[in-house]
Amino acid sequence: MKRQNIRTLVLIICTFTYLLVGAAVFDALESKMEITQKKVLDDRKRELMDKYNLSKVNFDELERVVLQLKPHKAGVQWRFAGSFYFAITVITTIGYGHAAPSTDGGKVFCMFYALLGIPLTLVMFQSLGERINTFVKYLLHRLKKCLGLRNTEVSMANMVCIGLISCMSTLCVGAAAFSRYEDWSFFHAYYYCFITLTTIGFGDYVALQKDNALQTNPQYVAFSFMYILTGLTVIGAFLNLVVLRFMTMNAEDERRDAEQRTLLSRNRQTGGTGTNHCMSDPPSSSTAGHGGGSGKGLCNVYAEVLHFQSMCSCLWYKSQEKMHYSIPMIISHDLSNSDTCMEHSETSDALHSNGCVCSASSVYTGLLSPAHYQRLSKRRSSI
Amino acid sequence: MKMKKQNVRTLSLILCMFSYLLVGAAVFDALESETESARKRMLEQKRSDMKRKYRFTEHDYREIERVVLQAEPHRAGRQWKFAGSFYFAITVITTIGYGHAAPGTDAGKVFCMFYAGLGIPLTLVMFQSLGERMNTFVRYLLSRVKKCLGLHRTEISMENMVLVGFLSCLGTLCVGAAAFSHFEGWTFFHAYYYCFITLTTIGFGDFVALQKKEDLQEKTPYVVFSFMYILVGLTVIGAFLNLVVLRFLTMNSEDEKRDAQERASLKRGRNLTALSLGQENHCHSNLFLPIEEGTSCTNLILSPAEERGLYSPLPLPLNASQSRPQLSSLCSCVCYHLGLCHCSAPSPNKCPECNINSVYCNSVSYKIQGCSSNRNDTVVSSPGSTLSPGLSLRDLPRFRRKSL
Repeated sequence: MKRQNIRTLVLIICTFTYLLVGAAVFDALESKMEITQKKVLDDRKRELMDKYNLSKVNFDELERVVLQLKPHKAGVQWRFAGSFYFAITVITTIGYGHAAPSTDGGKVFCMFYALLGIPLTLVMFQSLGERINTFVKYLLHRLKKCLGLRNTEVSMANMVCIGLISCMSTLCVGAAAFSRYEDWSFFHAYYYCFITLTTIGFGDYVALQKDNALQTNPQYVAFSFMYILTGLTVIGAFLNLVVLRFMTMNAEDERRDAEQRTLLSRNRQTGGTGTNHCMSDPPSSSTAGHGGGSGKGLCNVYAEVLHFQSMCSCLWYKSQEKMHYSIPMIISHDLSNSDTCMEHSETSDALHSNGCVCSASSVYTGLLSPAHYQRLSKRRSSI
Repeated sequence: MKMKKQNVRTLSLILCMFSYLLVGAAVFDALESETESARKRMLEQKRSDMKRKYRFTEHDYREIERVVLQAEPHRAGRQWKFAGSFYFAITVITTIGYGHAAPGTDAGKVFCMFYAGLGIPLTLVMFQSLGERMNTFVRYLLSRVKKCLGLHRTEISMENMVLVGFLSCLGTLCVGAAAFSHFEGWTFFHAYYYCFITLTTIGFGDFVALQKKEDLQEKTPYVVFSFMYILVGLTVIGAFLNLVVLRFLTMNSEDEKRDAQERASLKRGRNLTALSLGQENHCHSNLFLPIEEGTSCTNLILSPAEERGLYSPLPLPLNASQSRPQLSSLCSCVCYHLGLCHCSAPSPNKCPECNINSVYCNSVSYKIQGCSSNRNDTVVSSPGSTLSPGLSLRDLPRFRRKSL
């Protein structure tokens, strides 16, 4: 089966297993507390109902009023500051739900707003995240130079480490700030920051909902907005560093398969005779067989060259990865070429030491059969 | 100083986003503010009526409020039995995050954070992977359909794919809207809004499926349908994003890569000129190979026109001057290894570690010889040789060919 299909199936199975495991653990952690809490609340509710002689209908009505008043309790939600906050939760897909459009017009606009805003925001965060990664790589490289280290290249491990540390510190800074302003415990504020910056956004903890902060405390409001956007950038940079390459793996494999198919079909078209013709007739015959010979030869050359190109790019990127700061996107291409390359590494130790492992192995396995190789060696002697 | 393309792009995106937020905020304000204040007034009126009617004390009313708010998730039934936990786990790793149920215990919160930390990237990669497979399959189906319909051109253009993708998204939303409006008793519009907010992973929580009394525990087929709908719907949206948006997420990296290549090839080009003058065993010529037009600037191979330009004093097209240093550097990569192999022996058979390399270089160059129609006898690249820019193949000493 194709590699991409296997990969996809494995991922699906992994995700379902992950969901099952998660469900079981959450069940174990929360069920008991849920039952006890429900009991306590039911008892309290019954007490209050008895005290004030409320019927069930009355209480339901009261309940409805209280629940509907909930967003209003937190202050005005749809004035400009609140709307801006809401717009942020829409296009970043955080979606607390602390305020949600109640008018149908608001709902419609919300949908169109999200439709355009979400891709825009995704691209923006990835773009900015990549810039940040590049800048950090540069800084780290300079730092290594200053420290007089022998090896001044910035490895992937360095970058991942820095990424993790920045994410952790962003969360801690936010936790400290929000625990102070919102009167939450540090842990609950940290939990809030985490749920926000991963864009899950439950809405059980929401900033700017105390004492009408949205309207009365502009500095805190500005800080919250900037924190959310900056924090999302830091997380986005980390995702750009670590996860983005895996999202394009299938497409890269598909592209390479298509290339190989083209090469094979072209090779088959030209056939063995074509290559023989190509090789046996040195330039002297070229004028006569120009059209056909060069045509077939062109295809053959293109096939060889394409593979050469891909092989060379393997070499190129391998050396470049050491020279310049690693280029993440080519990974699947890189890896698959080096798969074929690795087969040959035992025989080409001299080459291996240079860091350019691929010799002709990819071309060899891809295009030249052993029979072909025999023809080649014969050819060589003829010239 | 001219700013790099990536920086310009990033800055414009930031500006775009901020303007988008400002515009959105203004519009939401206009749409919702009045309704909000009207509703608030009405609800507060109702509240004071009730307080007067039942003669609640302030303290007791606050107590009632607290009880009601805390009991809210319980209204929908058991949220943390297996089905409910599974639902919750879905909302975590897909980042929908309704909030209809949120971990109450501290341990639950901690586990939730670790669970999300690993689950979200896994889910992202899974949806993109599956989405790409779907796109490929749809492309295949479409080309078969086009063939069956006997159309002139059976290639699938990007527009076709985008159209099909868009229609599938709309179809998914409508199917969900119909189903949920039937099962949850919502209007079609509210159900559509729910599906949209869910499948874009915003997940407000104002509308949440499976929250009617005990649905999670009793109506198992409906529960299974909801879960499958969310996951399949996210796949369809993910496929569309994979088709349309993913390429933009890698634009900066691609540009950065290309810049790095250019910088390095320029450096190598300079090094090559320095080195080529001295050393015999190293290969120096470019591999000039006729192929079709190259379009990307990483295309190594010159087209015949460009090649001819290298031998004649014709002005070179821009591609050639760009690709030439790359070509030389790339091929020199291979050929330097020939040299480093210390393979001065005439026959590759006598040089085991260089064997494959020489064979390879030979095979490529032989193909060049056979196929290069616009060359005469003398202009034959010696196997695997690279020229520094400036030297023509004619200048290569003949003896090279014999040595191999």
